[in-house]
Amino acid sequence: MAKAGDVELDPGEPFAVAGARAVEVRTEELFGHADGVLDTADVERVHDMRVASRRLRAALEIFAPAFPPAPFKSALSDVKALADALGERRDPDVQLAALKDLAAAMPGVQEPGAEALAERLRGRQVLANATLAGALEHVERSGLRERLLALAGQARDA
Amino acid sequence: MKARKVKGLDPAAPLAEGAERIVRTRLDELCGFMPAASDPSAVAALHDMRIAAKRLRYALELTAGCFGPYAGTAVKRLKALQDVLGEIHDCDVQLPEAAALLEELTAADVAAVADGRPAPHRTAYAGLVAIQVELRARREREFARFDSMWAELERKGFRPRLEHAIIEGER
Repeated sequence: MAKAGDVELDPGEPFAVAGARAVEVRTEELFGHADGVLDTADVERVHDMRVASRRLRAALEIFAPAFPPAPFKSALSDVKALADALGERRDPDVQLAALKDLAAAMPGVQEPGAEALAERLRGRQVLANATLAGALEHVERSGLRERLLALAGQARDA
Repeated sequence: MKARKVKGLDPAAPLAEGAERIVRTRLDELCGFMPAASDPSAVAALHDMRIAAKRLRYALELTAGCFGPYAGTAVKRLKALQDVLGEIHDCDVQLPEAAALLEELTAADVAAVADGRPAPHRTAYAGLVAIQVELRARREREFARFDSMWAELERKGFRPRLEHAIIEGER
């Protein structure tokens, strides 16, 4: 899993300036994990992007009072929607991995049950991938990265 | 779970001042799930406690520099707590999934047998029951691990030490 980058925050600097830097760093981390995220053969990509989305969401929520309310609300809502779509895709990935471990220890007579559950989960993974593709498209179309960086700039300049 | 609102945050005030309010609120929120989450059947409380641990951890990751050295240790403890609560949550998600599929296949087989046809899914029953047994056993083990982890955090003074680290940051 990708480790979060350090955000150098000075205890004496204004809360809003610290919040601006935290959101800038976490925004770049999120978009740095976007490549290949729809590839179901490499489940670590979606995991890394999901973790990055949670960290960005946390930074936004922690420093919420530093940002202008209307654009903040809209950006946070889009980050939450993206995080939810990433979570929805991640859940069947986790369940399939756990099921694979369980199935490895099962006697032959129990295999059809494990396969039936795996088939169900793979179906959910495909649906969740389509949802995630839509969420990523919205992020791109609505310029979420640019809106987040603009928010950070407004907090710093206020 | 909606986070408790942190009152009195001033964008123009020093970060340390706001960070203190945030971490105190999130710490109080986390500890507030006990003793409710000490009940193994308290699925919602255990899930919410995991979210609360995550919120406190992420807040500390960003603001640990404002506090005394124990804040860094607290981040590690919270990661471990979040992980074990995550394992419990995974079991709580997977168990109903396996149970629902077994119920669905059984119902389809009942309809087939009532119609004079053989049960098409009968070979899946054993595996789906075995999966539920494994998941229930895993959940019991993970809950026991959570229970002893929290007892250890209390024994080692997690909350007062983190509160002390917050005060150290004020000096």
